[in-house]
Amino acid sequence: MANKRVETGRGRKPGVVKSSKSSTSNRAFFLLIGSIAILGIGALTYLSTRPSGAAAAASPIDTTLPKIESQGYVIGNASAPLEVTEFGDFECPQCGRFASISEPDVRSRLVNTGTIRFRFIDYPLPMHANTWNASRAAACAAEQDKFWEMHDAIFANQDRWNGEATHNPDKVLKQIGAQIGLKTDAFNQCIDTKKTQAKVQAHYEIATKRQVNATPTFVIGDKQIAAYMPYDEFKKLVDDALAKQGTPVASPADTTKAPANDTKKSVPLKKGQ
Amino acid sequence: MSRRKWMAVVSLAGLFLGAYLTLYHYGFIGTLACNVSSCEKVQTSRWSMFLGLPVATWGAGFYVLMLVLTVAGLQPRYESSRTLSLVLLMMSGWGLLFTAWLNYLEAFVIHAWCEWCLGSATLVLVLFVLSFLDWRAVESSGNVEELTAD
Repeated sequence: MANKRVETGRGRKPGVVKSSKSSTSNRAFFLLIGSIAILGIGALTYLSTRPSGAAAAASPIDTTLPKIESQGYVIGNASAPLEVTEFGDFECPQCGRFASISEPDVRSRLVNTGTIRFRFIDYPLPMHANTWNASRAAACAAEQDKFWEMHDAIFANQDRWNGEATHNPDKVLKQIGAQIGLKTDAFNQCIDTKKTQAKVQAHYEIATKRQVNATPTFVIGDKQIAAYMPYDEFKKLVDDALAKQGTPVASPADTTKAPANDTKKSVPLKKGQ
Repeated sequence: MSRRKWMAVVSLAGLFLGAYLTLYHYGFIGTLACNVSSCEKVQTSRWSMFLGLPVATWGAGFYVLMLVLTVAGLQPRYESSRTLSLVLLMMSGWGLLFTAWLNYLEAFVIHAWCEWCLGSATLVLVLFVLSFLDWRAVESSGNVEELTAD
């Protein structure tokens, strides 16, 4: 038996390995593997190094559209030279990412310095089960002049109330409302009666009229960008828009590192009209 | 070319596909948004994560493993290993089931199709068919050998 093994060659079975001697097959194999590897690495390198930032994703806006006015929720100085609008969905992970990573800087360095005014308009996407509840709750908080506190808390707690976490989002949203200091009786009643449904619906319609089809979508100057943005890209687009309309770009002092969350309380709050 | 060589080629292609979608998931390629249509909707849905990692990353890992195993299977030592061919079959079978589950989610829960995910599904199907043929060939030749050896 041992002899037989030596003769046949260890583990080599002619029925299975038909082509081990065929060098053309090997050459074809290595050629194929090599070209796929080169193609794949080349494509990935190209895709990850080309300018893929928000500026690249920006599309020009039809300037004949009427200005977005008196809708959504506004934070910042009414006389700020530029208004930036975000169409957002409270259950969208990328909106949550923007709210928690970029927005603190946007508030402290651009909104609080009077460079921009920031408007948030709900665009609850149909694929998110609980997003309408969150939009209604935020609108309820706005009735107590606490929209932005609620906005931040809703995004920060996305994983507690989203469609994956619960079938009863209102319960969690009520808890969040209580945590940020809302008058719970009025707030809970507002949620239970869906009092703010029409307002959210109106915001949704603004977004669909403007053919927004993704969140977050930002309108900065004459550009529309449907993508998450880190602060630096956001700032660049703001600078570009300011330069285009002839307003001097914010001084470099504005770009010094500021603690992200320290200004939230001092921000002037304005309820959407 | 032998079946295992084709499997290696398919696995490598799948690996790049998984790497692409992983880079996309983390925002290194293109921009991320929650979209109402197609790939973005699938990629940003909550089912794009599995046990804390993007599904695409699991896919890339699966293809790496398949690639390593098939390349090992090209070595004369393992060319007719029944264990290896069984492992390949079971792995690609598992991959096929997982992909079927993802396709089910796309069709009936997310209501959107991501063409890259469908591409991966095709690759997994090809891998499964090839590994099944490979397993059958190894099994039958093994039986012949055993008969002659005893």
